[in-house]
Amino acid sequence: MIKLENVTKIYPPDVKALYKVNLHIKPGEFVSIVGQSGTGKTTLVKILIGEEKPSQGKIVVGGWDITNIGPAEIPVLRRQIGVVFQDFKLLHRKTLFENVCFALQVCGEPQSKINNIVPQVLKIVGLENKMHRYPLEVSGGEQQRAVIARALVHRPKILLADEPTGNLDSINADEIIEILQKINKFGTTVLLVTHNRDVVNKLRKRVITIENGLIVGDQAVGKYIL
Amino acid sequence: MFLLSILRVIKFSLQDLARNVWLSVITIIIIVLALLSVNLLLIVKVLGLAAIGAVKEKIDISLYLKSDGEESRILALKSRISDLASVKEVAYISQQAAVESFRAKHQDNPEILQALLELGTNPLAPILVIQPKDINNYEDLIVSLNKIEDPLIESRNFADHKTMLAKINDLTDKASRAGLALSLLFGLITALVVYNTVAVAIYTHKREIGIMKLVGASTWFIRAPYLISGIVYAGLGVAAIIIIIYPLLSFFQPYLAVFFYGFKINILEYYNNNFLTIFGLEFLVVTLINFLASLVAVGRYSKV
Ligand SMILES: Nc1ncnc2c1ncn2[C@@H]1O[C@H](COP(=O)(O)OP(=O)(O)O)[C@@H](O)[C@H]1O
Ligand SMILES: [Mg+2]
Repeated sequence: MIKLENVTKIYPPDVKALYKVNLHIKPGEFVSIVGQSGTGKTTLVKILIGEEKPSQGKIVVGGWDITNIGPAEIPVLRRQIGVVFQDFKLLHRKTLFENVCFALQVCGEPQSKINNIVPQVLKIVGLENKMHRYPLEVSGGEQQRAVIARALVHRPKILLADEPTGNLDSINADEIIEILQKINKFGTTVLLVTHNRDVVNKLRKRVITIENGLIVGDQAVGKYIL
Repeated sequence: MFLLSILRVIKFSLQDLARNVWLSVITIIIIVLALLSVNLLLIVKVLGLAAIGAVKEKIDISLYLKSDGEESRILALKSRISDLASVKEVAYISQQAAVESFRAKHQDNPEILQALLELGTNPLAPILVIQPKDINNYEDLIVSLNKIEDPLIESRNFADHKTMLAKINDLTDKASRAGLALSLLFGLITALVVYNTVAVAIYTHKREIGIMKLVGASTWFIRAPYLISGIVYAGLGVAAIIIIIYPLLSFFQPYLAVFFYGFKINILEYYNNNFLTIFGLEFLVVTLINFLASLVAVGRYSKV
């Protein structure tokens, strides 16, 4: 589903964010990526959604070589990959429901489809009772759940979550991880970037460890080893 | 689906205008000022051309002849003048015709008519009214007319129309140049202001744009609202100028009519007859300026 071959990313002038990274993630996997701050984890996520171009190497997502993806194709790629970042990136003037609708509206989807999908994804993340509240009227965990719901509206094959629990307490964090596992059970490949030792150890799934832009560990049933 | 997208884009664009109301108002005011100067330029042009046309119409040279001149000799003189290269037309007004037109002109003034009666004889001279072919050869014509020595000619009345024309020309030229410079200046300011307004609008929507990109909105969908706002500004600006210019024209038309007394100048009618051309063209030009300015701003501030 995701294949990186010798991917190197150098930010000008000479920051080596990623160095000769080789990675193969199969469809339906749940993979955690761990590593200290500034080791290139977010850069990896950005390369996967076409926000950054690799300096070297080859990237294939869902059989599609996106190494030299053009601006016109980026929207197509992003409708196949759901993304969740640490900061919630919700519009405060819109309700959670409207925030999720927005993602479909701006992609030109018909209202009937929006009416059909939005309640479904809000139900998956357990927000069906709070969807008409504004972001600042709910907890951080609930905001992040709305972001996950929004990431699901295109029924993506891949969900990338870059430190989704970074701003949350452990109870809210656990809930988010549960939701990610649920989504993974539906067949979506999940890539979770995290700092959180407990989360990784509880998951008992594949763990990839990055250090200074290099992959230094890849365990099928991993532990947070740093 | 495409239509739906367009409707959504227009909705976003209008929301955007509303959200930055004051910026929108200022933008539209600048557009209105630009259009006002363009329209003043147009009015000056129209008035100038009309005035010149009217003066040209009225330019003729009168040769006053002796009252006792024989009709046949007068006609001979007339045909001789007609043969001059720079003459367009010569009209002969006989003594009888002259007095009749005098009476017609003063028919409401019994005192003058009474005076004419008391004179007993016809005091008016027969006249040859000469129209020049080309106003620029006016001096040549006068030279050749001065060369004609005929005992029939009583007096020559060569008013200096040329200086007057030159003055009108000069005045409209200067006004046009000032108007053009002003219009270009306002055009430039419009482009800058629209550019700035769109840049600010994009800046205030940074979050939205970021999210739109993240969830896979197409580039055109992200950019179109800002391009459309440029067009909406143009539309609102032209609508405003129509609302402003008509009362102005109606207000000044009577004064113009007095000032250009005797000339057929109706600026209001001119605007009515050319409504679509004038405002359509103005809309197109402003739209083009705004579209280009927005395009540059969008290109610069909303990189994919
Ligand atoms: N846009 C950028 N320009 C220059 N350097 C960057 C940029 N983004 C990230 N970096 C650098 O690249 C390295 C990896 O960053 P990042 O991928 O964000 O790490 P992580 O997500 O693991 O904390 C860091 O040293 C960071 O300073
Ligand atoms: Mg990061």
